[in-house]
Amino acid sequence: MILGIFDRFKGPDAETLAARAREAALHAEIVAALQTGRVPAPMRARLEGARTGALPWIATLTPSELLIVRSHGLRPIAAVSATCWLHYGFSWTEGHSQGWETALQRLSQEAQAAGANAVLDVKMRTVPVHIANSMDFTLVGTAVHVDGLPPSPDPVIATVPALEFVQLLEADVVPTGIAVGAHFEWMSDWRGNAGGVGWWNNEARQLSMLWEEVRQRAHADLRRNARARGNGVLAHVNFSQMFEREVEHQPKQYLARHIVVATTIDARRGVPIPHDIKMVVDVHAGKTPLTGTTPHHQSYATNEVEGAI
Amino acid sequence: MSTEIPVHAKERLKGLRSAANASGVFTSDFSVNEFLLVRKAGFEPIGLCVGSCVYHVGIQYGSWNRNQELDVLSKAMYHARELALSRMRAEASAMGADGIVGVKLTIKRLEWDEHLLEFIALGTGVVHGSGHKGFRAHDGGPFTSDLSGQDFWSLLHAGYRPVEMVMGSCVYHVAHRGVLAGLGTAGRNVELENFTSAMYEAREIAVERMQAEASAAKAEGVVGVDMHEGSHGWQTHVIEFFAIGTAVLPLEQEIAPEKIADPIMVLSVND
Repeated sequence: MILGIFDRFKGPDAETLAARAREAALHAEIVAALQTGRVPAPMRARLEGARTGALPWIATLTPSELLIVRSHGLRPIAAVSATCWLHYGFSWTEGHSQGWETALQRLSQEAQAAGANAVLDVKMRTVPVHIANSMDFTLVGTAVHVDGLPPSPDPVIATVPALEFVQLLEADVVPTGIAVGAHFEWMSDWRGNAGGVGWWNNEARQLSMLWEEVRQRAHADLRRNARARGNGVLAHVNFSQMFEREVEHQPKQYLARHIVVATTIDARRGVPIPHDIKMVVDVHAGKTPLTGTTPHHQSYATNEVEGAI
Repeated sequence: MSTEIPVHAKERLKGLRSAANASGVFTSDFSVNEFLLVRKAGFEPIGLCVGSCVYHVGIQYGSWNRNQELDVLSKAMYHARELALSRMRAEASAMGADGIVGVKLTIKRLEWDEHLLEFIALGTGVVHGSGHKGFRAHDGGPFTSDLSGQDFWSLLHAGYRPVEMVMGSCVYHVAHRGVLAGLGTAGRNVELENFTSAMYEAREIAVERMQAEASAAKAEGVVGVDMHEGSHGWQTHVIEFFAIGTAVLPLEQEIAPEKIADPIMVLSVND
């Protein structure tokens, strides 16, 4: 491996200044690109290098995923990523929709720059840097080219792993992107009995109704947002929180919020699944009901729990 | 596949010590499935290889309101990993290994000193069963890979061989936000372009460095890339962007898709 990559840091003044100038130029270029909705120049150059073969391709896929995409005529081009860091001046809850949507559009642009037909294995990430009232929405995935197809002006974004992507395609289903449904409501407890009364069992009906309302609206929002991308969703994240707030001389307030994040799909209804179901032994490590679920030793902590790389 | 238990295994079951391992004992951290698949791929484990490095990471603070790479820390995180990996590789060379599979790279903080980090690289040295030397890295030494035994088998069957673990590191200081900066955005959700830009910059630096290593190793691609963020006891706005993967080359020549055996697709009842 090369250490020479760091040689540029060694000298003190002239080099440091040059490095700072490069940093400032890079920063200016990225901000300008974000504002005008294009891929920043250095990223574009790297993606084009990967597309033409001048640079090594990069895949977030494991080798068995590589095997399965190659056997279906797909080639990895480059790891693509996009971020939107959003400040919640208005609503934390509803910011999620805007944040992921912006990141999704930027990811699509990177995929186009890489000459891709699809992005697989798209993971949703947030860095552990906590800055008041804000959060980053980051997407990372692998752009792939389908043998025999021209680059797509609107690459498919699949928030499912490679294997599931191929499984879906074989069943004539195309994963198309992300849809978010979000809703929040404040409720004031005027009568002071929202949390239930007395010593007997009774439903805290006002809170139940608050939850019903919030969840139904979040799901209606999901349905509305999904319609633009496909005819179905696989909702993999359902997140909800309720808070109680006490204010002096005023009734208690409750905040309930619900966010649902889903993979949108375009599926033809009534198409039979082409595969038979067979019992097989999976050689990959991981949970399987065939080998039991309890760990076989727990006497020694492994290195992993100390914090992986 | 025959279900007959082989003679050696039977002898062991009868409690007889076999002379099959006359040359010594191999060590590995393989799981059962890994062990079987590495052998199925034509390789034999010969010994655990380990490299460690205790590193005193220097001090560097970012300017309060500026996005910047903390190059002293980037360099420390990279150099320490590099030392641990090269020591592991030297051990593998000494035992005549053609490669190391299942490399685990971990970082521990040493409790008594906040500046000390311990880097450990641990993997299993393997040799090709019939002495084929074509699997070695471009410099003639053992290949390195963080792929498990299962992944190693899958990679060979996808038409590629591992060459070298490649990585890129960027420790980055994300600027603090001025007190007044929030006022203009009250009541609206707006993007903080400065922060978005910081993420792009840091990630780009890490990926570029990893890709440069892959080019230097004459690789065709990088598989199993993990891009993640970590903090190792630094200030809250300091974060490491780390990209790591295994650089690969086609086996002799790339296998055409139609020559790759079709995996049998199943709908799993597993979790």
